[in-house]
Amino acid sequence: MEVDTFADAALARLTDAELASLVAERASWSLTYGPQDLELVAHALRCILHAERVPAMRAEFEALAGVQHRDGGFAPRSADAESTVWVSAFCALMLIRGNAVLASEPLARSVRGAIDYFLDTQERDGRWVDPRWADLDTTSHPVSFFNVVLALGETHRRADVERAWRAGLGFILAAQAGDGGWYDAEFHPSGVEITAHLIQDALVAAVLLEGRADVASSCARGLGKLRSVQGASGSWDDDNVDHTMDCVRSSMLVARLLARHAPETLGDLAGGSEPGWIDRGLAWILAAKNPSGWPDFPGMESNLERSCDGIDTLIKYRAYLGRDPERLARLWGYAR
Amino acid sequence: MRVELELAALPPGSRRLVRAGTVEVAVFNVDGEIFAINNVCPHRGGPLIRGLLQRTEAGPVVRCPMHGWAFCMTNGASVRPGRATVYPVAFHGERITIEVEAGSLEVPR
Repeated sequence: MEVDTFADAALARLTDAELASLVAERASWSLTYGPQDLELVAHALRCILHAERVPAMRAEFEALAGVQHRDGGFAPRSADAESTVWVSAFCALMLIRGNAVLASEPLARSVRGAIDYFLDTQERDGRWVDPRWADLDTTSHPVSFFNVVLALGETHRRADVERAWRAGLGFILAAQAGDGGWYDAEFHPSGVEITAHLIQDALVAAVLLEGRADVASSCARGLGKLRSVQGASGSWDDDNVDHTMDCVRSSMLVARLLARHAPETLGDLAGGSEPGWIDRGLAWILAAKNPSGWPDFPGMESNLERSCDGIDTLIKYRAYLGRDPERLARLWGYAR
Repeated sequence: MRVELELAALPPGSRRLVRAGTVEVAVFNVDGEIFAINNVCPHRGGPLIRGLLQRTEAGPVVRCPMHGWAFCMTNGASVRPGRATVYPVAFHGERITIEVEAGSLEVPR
């Protein structure tokens, strides 16, 4: 499909229809209906956040806080007892960002509990570990949470948070390969998804928060790596919908923020090449959609998690079309 | 429940997705040896039929295309906190049958 840009009104209609489906399927993801897969809950709440429907869904955020463990973490399934890092960070991100709207003291206590959890679980070399995910991927999530903690001005254990945040960034920056990507031989041999996660979730916020030139350069090299491995179809990783959505979202944010804050790092990533590459990715995502949402690969049945990623991608693409980097940054929680 | 396949439909190096009721089974021919494994990765539900096949000293493994969890194709074991379900395969001349035990096979998405 050859597309330069998409009509914003058409994207808005599609987004609204998918959001309506998500709300209609609330029993499949809502903790107010019983125990759930918390990663799915967090995916759904991210859509609620970005659709600016938080006040109407207050009970969902309160229910999420209600399944937090005493150590401040969360389990992959809400009824399980053991906290794990990846899902804890995803849940904590939804709580702090939701509470930026709700301003609830109980939710603020939950956020402080999550901060304690991540400070308690960081390894000496700056990484976080979760057996379900690569260490670099795992580390990107608490760093992303701390990005938002710092951006929103949360003061709980501020000095400790800043120290842990820098250590996490350092761990990630030290692992970047010479070609600009990040790799994990076991989880991410191609390096595509992990690179997309790291530059959007962990690194680029440091350019906003502190103007870090080393981070800007690292992000630009990561962005170049992503663009270089996009398939002819517009997808990444052999028509992988999840990874293509990650790459499109990551590329939109990093390209826009670097263009505003560190344009000298972009080189040939700036200007003419940028729109074609990102828009081709979105065109492929739209073509991969089923009547009921998005699948993991074209032709498969859709699933709720991927459909949530699709909604999130549409909302972020609409912000990207608006050309305001701050609006995009707000969709990651990196700006008020 | 039993699934039957013509062996000719699964030459060495190929793979096929078959259904036994609502259960999806990924069937692989690895150098002439047939393996059948539940298609749904126990991590986040990724489709193992799209996975990367790797040969190891312990036998072939399939690596989920979504987040890289790897499973022994002989017994479903993984170093990650989950195990894939594998199914016994029997040869009957030019046909193979896969026994798909009812009940414990579907992983919710």
